[in-house]
Amino acid sequence: MSRTHRWLIVAIGALALVLLEGRPAYAMHIMEGFLPPLWAAFWFAVAIPFWVIGFRRVNRLMTEKPETRMLLGLVGAFAFVLSALKIPSVTGSSSHPTGTGLGAILFGPAVMSILGTIVLLFQALLLAHGGLTTLGANAVAMAIVGPLVAWGIWYGLKDRISIWVAVFCAAAIANLTTYVVTSLQLALAYPDPTGGFTAAFIKFGTIFAVTQVPLAISEGILTVLIFNALQTNAETELMALDVLKGA
Amino acid sequence: MHTIDHYAYGNALRRVDPAQKGGLTVLAIILCLLLDRPTVGLVTLGWMFALTALWARVPSHVFGRTLLAEGLFLILSVMGVAISVSLNPPEIHRIVWHIGGLWVSTDHEAIRVAYHLFTRALGCAAALNFLILTTPLTDLIELMRRLYVPETLIELMTLIYRTIFVLLESMQRMALAQAVRLGYSSPGRALRSTALLGSQLFLDAYRRSRRMQTALKSRGIEGTLRMLPLEYVYDRRAWWVGATLGVSLVVVGIL
Repeated sequence: MSRTHRWLIVAIGALALVLLEGRPAYAMHIMEGFLPPLWAAFWFAVAIPFWVIGFRRVNRLMTEKPETRMLLGLVGAFAFVLSALKIPSVTGSSSHPTGTGLGAILFGPAVMSILGTIVLLFQALLLAHGGLTTLGANAVAMAIVGPLVAWGIWYGLKDRISIWVAVFCAAAIANLTTYVVTSLQLALAYPDPTGGFTAAFIKFGTIFAVTQVPLAISEGILTVLIFNALQTNAETELMALDVLKGA
Repeated sequence: MHTIDHYAYGNALRRVDPAQKGGLTVLAIILCLLLDRPTVGLVTLGWMFALTALWARVPSHVFGRTLLAEGLFLILSVMGVAISVSLNPPEIHRIVWHIGGLWVSTDHEAIRVAYHLFTRALGCAAALNFLILTTPLTDLIELMRRLYVPETLIELMTLIYRTIFVLLESMQRMALAQAVRLGYSSPGRALRSTALLGSQLFLDAYRRSRRMQTALKSRGIEGTLRMLPLEYVYDRRAWWVGATLGVSLVVVGIL
């Protein structure tokens, strides 16, 4: 075995390790400093209207019904802890659920825009995943667009087909959506030198898709199972949550 | 998570005003992003390591391990920037591999951009690590209060932070109980156990919120939750550190 040959094997092994085993749990967060200042500011600007709507809703809930204060605090902590939960993926590895689907179904997209952003901020400050300048971009993907898509799918499908299918579609597609949005954000900031934005979008999308499609399916199944367990064990509690959605 | 929280509460800079530590971090991140040069990122990394290890006396391996996790993730991310993939042979790129039906290519410019990005993000991440390893979240929330973040959000964040660890412990106990009963012995079973864990955790969170509400009501809560603000030390040296940091980064960035 020649010297270069050996080095090649070591390099490929190291690469495989990074890609497969060392793959960080929160792979979709855009890291601190990864976006150029203009794009970071742009995604904050996109997020602000949604935050204002969510904030108004949360504010009204907390003044009109003081008991929602504790409820929001605890479900926020629940969302954070849930994101630390390991789920076994179809491919055999394990990762963490985004929780956007479950969150949107349980709490509605308006409340989710605030709770999700706080969870992202805490992940940056307690786990060193994500960042402060990229909080806007991450929030758009995971606290705004993902929950909105999940909510839309769930709301549109729940009366037409079996509720489990609706929950599965909402959670799995919301999970995928967060990745598509993240790929879009990366492609816009760093277009490909040969193929421009489209090629970059497909490229970043593929990097994520390899790991993400099985994870989206896992998250869909998991959300259905959680929802099922909640329906049998926590019916009254689920009814109380309708307060948050304004239903 | 416990590691970061642990050192945030027990380092030499614990009592220093969070505004000063936050200011240093924000200064470093802004300069890193604006000057946008590999050397600036690397110098920031060095500065932040020195500040965390020598000034705050956080063990260097803690800083190193946090940064290593971020670095590995960054390598994966910048690879997407460095490498182009196309169906047709690229025209402008010089280094090309033909794998299957795909043309994987890169060139010096793309590698330069990726290296740029890697150092910049690593510098920024190091600056953020300095902040989170020296400042507990309660202090950061207090800082946000001073920065006029709405009271509703401050209260919500305080509540969330204080209940995270309670729920986490509850989750770990449940997971352990499931594990000793072979709840995670096969992938299918693991998925079922995880779902049960998630739903029970939700019930736990919900019931705790009810209990807390009852407890607070019986003690006559009126509107908001009030916490005693901490007494901070105003460290004059932070100004000097900030000034030297800023000047050194600007000098490195312009030269």
